[in-house]
Amino acid sequence: MPDKEKLIENHDYDGIQELDNPLPGWWLMTFYITVIFAVIYFGYYQLFGGPTLDEELSSEMGSIKAEQEKTEEAGEAKSQQDYLALVSNPDAIAKGKAEFLTKCMPCHGDKGQGIIGPNLTDDYWIHGDGSIPAILKVMNEGVLDKGMPTWKGVIPADMEEDVAAYVYSIHGTNPPGAKAPQGQIIEHNN
Amino acid sequence: MSDARAGNAAITEKIYYDDDIVKKFIYATIFWGAAAFVVGLLAALELAYWPANLELPWLTFGRIRPLHTNAAIFAFGGNIIFAGIYHSTQRLLKTRNFSDLLSNFHFWGWQLIIVGALITLPLGYSHGKEYAELEWPLDIAIAVVWVVFAVNFFGTIAIRRVRHLYVAIWFYIATIVTVTLLHVVNSIEIPVAMFKSYPVYAGVQDALVQWWYGHNAVAFFLTTPFLGLMYYYVPKAANRPIYSYRLSIVHFWSLVFIYIWAGPHHLLNTALPDWAQTLGMIFSLMLWAPSWGGMINGLLTLRGAWTKLRTDPIIKFLAVAITFYGMSTFEGPLLSIKSVSSLAHYTDWIIGHVHGGTLGWNGFLTFGIIYYLVPRLWNTKIYSQRMMNWHFWIGLLGILLYYISMWASGITQGLMWRAIGENGQLVYPDFVETVMRIVPLYYVRFAGGVLFLTGFLLLICNVWITIARAPKGERAMAVEVPARSSDVTDIGTGHRKLEALSVIFTVLLFIAVIAGSIIEIVPTLAIFKYLPQTAKTEPYTPLELAGRDIYIKEGCYVCHSQMIRKLPYDVLRYGANSTLEESMYDHPFQWGSKRTGPDLARVGGKYPDMWHLRHMIDPRVITPRSIMPAYPWLAAAKIDYNILRKKLSVMKMLGVPYKDEDVSNADINAEKQAAVIYQGLLSQDPSLESVKDTEVIAIIAYLQSLGKKTSQQGVASSNR
Repeated sequence: MPDKEKLIENHDYDGIQELDNPLPGWWLMTFYITVIFAVIYFGYYQLFGGPTLDEELSSEMGSIKAEQEKTEEAGEAKSQQDYLALVSNPDAIAKGKAEFLTKCMPCHGDKGQGIIGPNLTDDYWIHGDGSIPAILKVMNEGVLDKGMPTWKGVIPADMEEDVAAYVYSIHGTNPPGAKAPQGQIIEHNN
Repeated sequence: MSDARAGNAAITEKIYYDDDIVKKFIYATIFWGAAAFVVGLLAALELAYWPANLELPWLTFGRIRPLHTNAAIFAFGGNIIFAGIYHSTQRLLKTRNFSDLLSNFHFWGWQLIIVGALITLPLGYSHGKEYAELEWPLDIAIAVVWVVFAVNFFGTIAIRRVRHLYVAIWFYIATIVTVTLLHVVNSIEIPVAMFKSYPVYAGVQDALVQWWYGHNAVAFFLTTPFLGLMYYYVPKAANRPIYSYRLSIVHFWSLVFIYIWAGPHHLLNTALPDWAQTLGMIFSLMLWAPSWGGMINGLLTLRGAWTKLRTDPIIKFLAVAITFYGMSTFEGPLLSIKSVSSLAHYTDWIIGHVHGGTLGWNGFLTFGIIYYLVPRLWNTKIYSQRMMNWHFWIGLLGILLYYISMWASGITQGLMWRAIGENGQLVYPDFVETVMRIVPLYYVRFAGGVLFLTGFLLLICNVWITIARAPKGERAMAVEVPARSSDVTDIGTGHRKLEALSVIFTVLLFIAVIAGSIIEIVPTLAIFKYLPQTAKTEPYTPLELAGRDIYIKEGCYVCHSQMIRKLPYDVLRYGANSTLEESMYDHPFQWGSKRTGPDLARVGGKYPDMWHLRHMIDPRVITPRSIMPAYPWLAAAKIDYNILRKKLSVMKMLGVPYKDEDVSNADINAEKQAAVIYQGLLSQDPSLESVKDTEVIAIIAYLQSLGKKTSQQGVASSNR
């Protein structure tokens, strides 16, 4: 014990004594700084008009939406003809199938035969005409009343066309255990 | 000191301390400690390797995790606190405990409550409020036993032979007073059955009261009593004086005053009003220095005994415990900053933070105290210094593996959740992808737990052999103490005087903790009156309420939140941010604190009923890499329709706007709604006849209602 430290007289509790050391300066300074910061922070956000959490969220969502719209505008609407090349591209189909097996399989079956969701291989369609743009529309917007979630953002944007092309490609495969037809029959011309 | 002078006048008497009660609490600490660690290890394994849930309802993670937290905090932590308090208080006040009868009532009462928890929590009897899961009969038992403890403790103060109260006693007083307040206020509930009740608070009120309780359970159950123990056992073991009396005064009062405000830091960026969040954050920051005051006083008391750090394992345990206390109390304020919380909240970082405190601070301090007490209580020497050393190093390695793996897991997952690409979309939209990334770390955490438990097994062997070899049949030693004196002159001035006036001290302490409590909680109790008039929330249908109670029973809230925060990546992933009115009839609230699975606030209508049915029976059918336990028994157990009238009537009493006919027809309405869901499932799969009227139907009804009960949406609706 350094000499300058002294024990406080008459502080003896079951043999435990206490030294009369001052509060450490750096410790006290830390305390003061946190208190000053607390006062300023509270004043700024609660008393003098700092942004609320709602305002901060609105502004951040605004810029995120702008980014989303910019990306969407960049991609021009394509027709069925534009997409058909994908169907004959084995790479695209393989990628689409892999994604299908993780995201779509639980409801539509590993071969698109239908479980909770409808059979995707027959000639009957509930929403749209079974063309790739129609499949994309259902994937991206979902059919919430029927339990089809929106997959926009969940299936990565650069994969969605591959998935739609894969779904289109399994038409007519007639897998075992296929679910009974639902929806309207669509005449295909391919 | 007047007492010393009294001693000089040779007016002394001989008394016996009650060390039997201390021994009992030491045995209980070791016994329940082993149980808590084993259950914790099982919980850790279940997250790493889902088949470890074994498809047994009572072993499933959702029920095991509350058992682990309650056992670790209240059984292991509680018993060592009581052991230390009963041992040190008698010596600091130079008197035997006030009443041996009350001491024993306290001991056996507390052990019975633990046994009650051990039975009821695995059976799913739970409030659904973290660290306060025990149902109402046990809540009452806790209150009774705690009051008995308080009477015994304050009785001991009243008959003390030492005028001034030492700093350890201040911390014990703070613990006893504040835990009473926390437990009673948080547990106000209306029973609906023998082991089922609803809290009087709903939604945001319940959230605020719960985290005022939950945070201060850490403060006044895992911090203040252990600081009190530190102030006795550290100077005793090191044979050194306390570094600074003045520091102990300043850090004690600032700690107890500031701690009570910090609860809302568990609710940052949620629907809780901004002002309450801001208070929670700034008081947490201001808590940094008062907490470190305790660390400084502990570590600097060890100064001059540093050589013992190499030779005395007890000093090692104590020094490392205080160091972990310092780390946790720096990390806590850091995590309370809103922007840091946005990354860390709901992740394993919080789990790591908590275990740094519990394993490092509470665990190692406890081990140090056990190693200090056992040879002294049994009047012998510890059997093996080597085993103590091994315990120290194995345990420390275990804590580091635990802490570091959970840091890595939490930060990894937090960063993946918030990653947004240049196209304005989530980079990892598939939740299970973020889970897969951290599963390897769950194995590392499990390994850390194995090491920590291994160290503890060494303690058990060492203590066992020490006691077995202790001399038998020796009577307790009489100690010579100063006689009681009624001399109240010369008790000092200022704080010194206060230390001699135990009643005034206790009153001031109560004022210090009640101030922040009132300022934060009372305005929130009236909050629903100030919601916009356009806000209209439908109460749950009887079947949804039945499903909600199953959700609580299975402990779904330990892995799923129901609170979409005011953060863009929460909104992108889960939909518009959650609003206050959405949970205004939720007794209890189910906002959750951890997302091992995704948030469920807006899961209603997202998937068809069949999806949920298949997912509950076997999650892997829907999400092949899911780590969620399977719940096949929900498709076998029948819904209890008969209790629903009673449940709705209690809810109505609590202010949920059910009409009288809703209450009287609750069972019929529930059966009707269940029939609709069942017919829908059956029409898709005729083999599903067995799910008629089973609990899975109720939980589907509840899940499909989430996010659908109000037209009021958060400020930000996503494009999804």
